[in-house]
Amino acid sequence: MNWQLLPQFAITGILSGGPIALIALGLVLIFKSSEIFNFAHGQMLLIGAMATWWFFSPSALGRVFPADEQFALRLALAIVLALLTSVLLGLLIERLALRPMTGQPLLSIILMTLALSQALQGLTILTFGATQRNFPVIFRVTEPYRITWPFRQNAAADASCRFALGGELQPGCILTLLRQDLLWSFVVAIACVLLLYAFFQYTRMGLSMRATAEDHETAQAVGIRINRVFGLSWAIAGMIATVGGILIATASGLDLSLSVVVLAAFPAVLLGGLESIPGAIVGGLLIGLFQGLVALPNNDFFLGPEAAQAVRNSREIVPYVILLIVLLIRPDGLFGQKRIERI
Amino acid sequence: MTVRWMRLSLVFTLLLVGLIACGSPAVEPTPTSAPAPTQAPAPTEAPAPTEAPAAPTEAPAPTEAPPDPSTLSIVEIAAADDRFETLVAAISAAGLADALSGGEFTVFAPTDDAFDALPAGTVDSLLADPAGALTDVLQYHVVEGAVLSGDASALSFAPTLLADRNISIDARDNGLFLNGEAMVIAADIQAANGVIHVIDHVLVPRTLTFYHFGDLSGPLAGVTAPLITGFNDAVAAANAGRGVYGATIDLEFTDTQSSVDAAVAAYDRYTSESDDILVMFTYGSGDGEALMSRFREDRIPNLAAGLSSVAFYGPESGYTFGYAPIYPEQFGLFLDYIVANWDAVKPEGAGDEIKLAYISWPTAYGQGALTPESRAYAEQLGVEIVAEELFDPTPTADTTTAILNAQAAGANVIYTNTLAFGPASILNGLGVLGLRGQFLVGANNWAMDVATYAFLSDPALAAGMISPFPYLWWTDVDNPGIQYVSQVFAEFERPIELQAVGYLLTFGGVDLAIMAIEDAVDAVGFDNLDGQAVFEALTKMSETSVLDGLFFVDFTDGSRSPHIAQIRQIQGGPDAFVVLQDFAATPDLVPAETFDLGQ
Amino acid sequence: MAIMRPAGDFDRSYEQDMAVVRQRWQLGLLLVFLAALYTLPLYASGTLVSLVNRIGIFIIAVQGLNILTGYTGQISLGQAAFMTVGGYASALLMAELGWSFFLALPAAGLIAGFVGLLFGLPSLRVKGFYLVMATLAAQFIIPWFARNAYRDLLNGAQGINVAVPFFRLPVVANTCFLGTTFEAATGSCLYRFSTPSQFIFITLTVLIITTVAQANLSRTRFGRALVSVRDNDLAAELLGINLFRYKLRAFFLAAVYAGIAGSLLAHNLRFINSETVNLADSVLMLGMLVVGGLGTRLGPIFGTAFVLLVEEMVTTLTPILIDWFPGIEGTATAALRPLIFGLALVLFLIFEPRGLAHRWTLIKAAWRLRPFAH
Repeated sequence: MNWQLLPQFAITGILSGGPIALIALGLVLIFKSSEIFNFAHGQMLLIGAMATWWFFSPSALGRVFPADEQFALRLALAIVLALLTSVLLGLLIERLALRPMTGQPLLSIILMTLALSQALQGLTILTFGATQRNFPVIFRVTEPYRITWPFRQNAAADASCRFALGGELQPGCILTLLRQDLLWSFVVAIACVLLLYAFFQYTRMGLSMRATAEDHETAQAVGIRINRVFGLSWAIAGMIATVGGILIATASGLDLSLSVVVLAAFPAVLLGGLESIPGAIVGGLLIGLFQGLVALPNNDFFLGPEAAQAVRNSREIVPYVILLIVLLIRPDGLFGQKRIERI
Repeated sequence: MTVRWMRLSLVFTLLLVGLIACGSPAVEPTPTSAPAPTQAPAPTEAPAPTEAPAAPTEAPAPTEAPPDPSTLSIVEIAAADDRFETLVAAISAAGLADALSGGEFTVFAPTDDAFDALPAGTVDSLLADPAGALTDVLQYHVVEGAVLSGDASALSFAPTLLADRNISIDARDNGLFLNGEAMVIAADIQAANGVIHVIDHVLVPRTLTFYHFGDLSGPLAGVTAPLITGFNDAVAAANAGRGVYGATIDLEFTDTQSSVDAAVAAYDRYTSESDDILVMFTYGSGDGEALMSRFREDRIPNLAAGLSSVAFYGPESGYTFGYAPIYPEQFGLFLDYIVANWDAVKPEGAGDEIKLAYISWPTAYGQGALTPESRAYAEQLGVEIVAEELFDPTPTADTTTAILNAQAAGANVIYTNTLAFGPASILNGLGVLGLRGQFLVGANNWAMDVATYAFLSDPALAAGMISPFPYLWWTDVDNPGIQYVSQVFAEFERPIELQAVGYLLTFGGVDLAIMAIEDAVDAVGFDNLDGQAVFEALTKMSETSVLDGLFFVDFTDGSRSPHIAQIRQIQGGPDAFVVLQDFAATPDLVPAETFDLGQ
Repeated sequence: MAIMRPAGDFDRSYEQDMAVVRQRWQLGLLLVFLAALYTLPLYASGTLVSLVNRIGIFIIAVQGLNILTGYTGQISLGQAAFMTVGGYASALLMAELGWSFFLALPAAGLIAGFVGLLFGLPSLRVKGFYLVMATLAAQFIIPWFARNAYRDLLNGAQGINVAVPFFRLPVVANTCFLGTTFEAATGSCLYRFSTPSQFIFITLTVLIITTVAQANLSRTRFGRALVSVRDNDLAAELLGINLFRYKLRAFFLAAVYAGIAGSLLAHNLRFINSETVNLADSVLMLGMLVVGGLGTRLGPIFGTAFVLLVEEMVTTLTPILIDWFPGIEGTATAALRPLIFGLALVLFLIFEPRGLAHRWTLIKAAWRLRPFAH
C-alpha cells in the first residue's frame, strides 16, 4: 500500500465528495417533497452547465462583453441566466411530465424519470451539440497548496518531519498536494448546502416544503398549496443541479458524460438515507472519500499486483459496493427514517 | 438520403440499361462493312496539314474530290469514316449532330468494334432511350475545347459534357489511355470545330461506392469528426478530378456512436445493399476487431484508421489494412528512441534507469500498445513498466490519482495510447499537481494533434511530449501531398480545428483506396472488379508512397500495416511538432499468432 | 383477458379458459406467421433479416425482464449486465472448453441465472427504489469484473472475439446434407451460422422456446404466485407464499433469459466486451417492456419490435432530416435516438400506460364486436 499517499487520497476524495453531496441533495430534495427518485437529475446537471457555457459563449453574452476584463461579470450573468433556465426547466418537467403521473405506481414514476433522462439527453445534444466544450475556468489553477505531514516516508529520511502548510518540502517527508480548483468547488458546494439548510430551517417557504414532505394531506389542511411546493422543489432542484454541473465542468471540462456523474450520487443518497439532508451531505463526502482511498493499493498489495490494479480501477463501482453493503445491513441508510416495511 | 438514393438508382439504371439488357444488334449496316482493322492504319496518315490549301471553297461539295477534313465538322468527318457507323447513328438518334457541328470540342470516338464489344443488346437499349442514357453516354465522350493528344497526355483528367463527370487520362508507354480501359488508337484528327481521337473502347460513366461508418455523435465524436470530414473532402476532391479511372465515388456513411452493435448492423445493411463492395473504411479499433472475420469471409478489404494489432494480424483477420504502424510497434519505436537518447530527453533529476508508467484508457484502443510482444521488447531494452493505470475516456477524466500512483511507483516516463484529449487529461493532471517537470510524456501517433491543445489548460504543458509520427504534418508545406490536402482544405473552407491528424490520414486513405482500385482495374478490368480484386491489388503494394509521401505502405509478405515512423516532439506552441528522428523502421512486434489466408 | 371476448364466446372447460391458442384458425395463422419468419431470408432484404434477428434477440431479454418486472413487480436496471455474463460465458465455454454452441447457449443462461440470484439477494430486505439501486449495482459491478478480473481469460477492457456457431455432420454417401459444405481439414460437413440470414434460424428457434415457456409460466401456480407478490406482497405472504423464494426465482429466470439473449448477441456480433451491452440498454429494455405492456404475453414482442423499428427508422430518416435542417448534421443520430425514445416513453406512460399489448386486445375486441361498440 502507498501509505504515504493516504492523506493525499483521503483529502482529494473528500474534496471531490463536495459536488457529489450537492448533487445528492438535489435528489433528496425532490424525494422529500414528492417521493420521486429523479433519474433525470444528471441531465438537469448537464443542461445547467451547457446553458452556462452557452450564455457565456461568444454567440450570447460574449457579444455584449467581449473584453477579457469583463470575464467575471460575463460569467456571473451567464450563471444567473443558466439558473433561471434551470428553474424554468424544473417547473416544466414537474408540470408536464410528473403532475400527470400523480397516483401512478412506483414503476411508472421511475420509468417516467428514466424516460425524461433520455429525452433531455437528446434535447441537449440537439440544442448544444455533442462535442466537448471548453468551459470557462472559474477557479484559476495556479500551484497546488502543499502540506507536509509529521510522518516520514521511509526510514532513510534524515530530516525531522513537521506539519506545515505551503512550507518547503522536507526530503523524505510525506507531502500532500491540495488542488485549488477542488478546494474551491468544495467550498462553494458546502456553502450551497448550508444555504439550503438555512432555507429549510428558517424561511416560510422552506418550512412549508418540509411540512409537505412530512404529510401531504396535513400540509394541505393547514393551507399549504402542495402543487406549488412540488413545483418549487423541482425548481430548486434544477438550480442545485446547475450549480453542481458548473462546479464539475469548471474543474474538468464539459461534455455529455457530465450527466454520468450523478450515478455516483445515487448511492450517496441511499447511504445517507433517502430523506435526510445531513445524510446526503455525509453520504456524498463518504462516497468521495472511499473513491479516493481505493487508489491506495500498489504492487505490494497483499493480493498481488493484478488485484491491486483491479482495486485501483474500482473508483466507479465503489459507491455501488458500499450501496450493496448498506442495503444488506442497514437499508434505511445512516440518517434515514425507519420507514421501510420489513418483508 | 432520398436525393442520394435517387441519384444512385439513376446511375444504376443507367448502367443496367447501358450494359446488361439484352437483344440483338440493331444497327444493321455495321456487319456488312469490311473488317475495320485493315482500314485502321489509313486515317492516321490522313490528317490534314499536308493537304491543307484546298479547303474553304470546296467545303459545300462533300461527295466528290476528297475534301480537306479540317474544313469539315466533327460529325461530318465521322460520317465520312466507315469505322464510326454506330457512333454516327447514335449521334443522330440522340439529336446531338447539330450541337457537335458548332462550338469547339474534342470527341473521343469509339469505333464500331468498340460498340460491338459491349455486351449484346447494349446498343439497342441505348438507342431505345435516346434522350436519356444514350445522350449521357455520348456526352461522356465529348470534352469542351480542342485538346490535342500531346496536350492531353499532360493532363490527368478532363471534364466531359456530361455534368459532373470526368474522364481520367493516363499517358503510358504504349499510348494514351482513357478511364484506364480505352486506348487512343488514332489521335488528332482535325475538324473545323475541334479534334477527334479514335478509341477502342466505349467509355461508360460509372459510379463506385465507398462505405464507411464511425462515431460522429458518440463519446469519440470530437476525434472522429476530422476523420470523416477528411474522408468526405478527399472523395469530393477526387470526384472533381479523375475519380477512380473516371468513375465517380459515392459515399455511404452510418453514425455508429462508438457502438460495436451499431457497426455490425451497418455492416449487415451495407452488405445486403450491394453484393460486390470494393472497400470499406473503419475508424474505431473495436469496430475493426469485431468485423475482421466478416471482412475476410465476405472478401471485402477494410482500410482501418484504428491500428489495433488484433484487427490487422489476428488469426481471423487478413483483410484489414492500416495507414500507420500498429500501436505496439509505435510503442516499441518510442522505447527505442528514449533508450538511445535517454540523457538528452530524461526529466530533470531522473536516474539512469527508465521506469515507465503506462497510463491509458480502459478500452480496446487504450490498452492496444501493451501486448505480450511489446512487454517483452520493453524488458529486452531494460525499460521497466512500473505502473499500469487507467482513466476514463472522457475529457473530464481525473488523472491525478493515476499520476500520483505512477510517481509513488518511481516512474519517470509516462506513455499513453489515447486520442487528443487523453494526453491532455494527463498533462492537465500533471499541471494541477505541479509535477510536469518530473516526467517525460510519450504517446502514440493520435495523441500528438492540434486537438490536444483544445483541452489543455495551459499550452506550455504539452512542450516536450514525444511521439512516433508515421506521416507528415500540415506544416511540412514542401511536400506536394501536404500542399494538395491544404489546398482542398482551404477550398472547402474547413474550420482550423479540423486541421488534425484524422483529416490527413483518411485523406491519404482515400488516395490509397483509389490507387488499389485502379490497380485492380488494370488487373481484371472494370467488369470483373470486386472486393477480392482490390484485396489482391493491395497485397501487391510494396513500398508505395501515398499522396506523394504523406505516408508509406507495404502490404506484401503478409504485412498489413506500415513499419516505419518518425519521432517528433512538441516544442513550443501548437503545430510545432519538431522531427527528432526521421523515418526509421519500428521493431517488429507483430503478434506471434497471425492470420493464415491459406487457400 | 376473458372480458375482452364478445357475448356467446365463453369457455366450457378449464383447459379452454387457460388455452394460449384458443381456436384452430388462430393456430393456423400462428403457423403461417412462423413459416413466414423462418423463410424471411428467402424474400426479404439482408437489412430486414439483420433487424429481425436483433429484435428477436432483444425480445428474449425483455421477456426475462417481463417475468421479473411485469409479473413479479421487481424493477431491474441490471438486465444488460446479465446479458454480458451470458455473452462471456458461452464465448468462453466454446473457446476454452471446446463446447458446442448449442450446449454453451443454455449453459450461459444458467450461469447468468446464478449471477442473477446473487444480485437478487438484496430483494430479501428491500424493494422499490432500493431494489432498483441494487440492480443498478449489478450494472456497475459485472462490467467492472469483466474488465478487471482474470485478464488472461477475459482480456480486460478489450473484450474477446466470439466464435461463430456451427455444427458438423458426417459425410453421408459422399454428399453433405442440410446446406453444409465439406471441410477438408476435418473430413466432415460444416455449417456456420455466420450471416444474419443463417443466424436468424437460431434466434427464431430459441425465441419460440422462450415465448412458449413464458406464456405457460403465467398459467402455473408459480406464475400466479409471482403476480400475487407484485400485487400485494403482504397478502401473498399470508397466503403461504414464501416471498423471498419466489422473488429469487424470478430474479433467476430473468437472468437466465438475459444470459441466453446475451449469448446470442455475442455470437451474432462475434465480439463482446464490458461495454457491448450497457446501462443504456437496461433502460432501453425497461422502456420496451412498458411500451409493449407489463405482465402480458405479447408485451415484450410488441415493445421490442416497436422500439427497435423506431430506432431503425431514425437511422434511415436521419440523412433526410440533415437535408432539411443542415444545422443538425453530425449530432442528429445521437440526438434523435434518445429524444424519440424518451418522448415515446413519456407519451406511453401518460396516455397508454398498459402498453401496446393492451391496445392489441382492444383492437381485436373491436374487430370481433363490429359493428357494435361494446
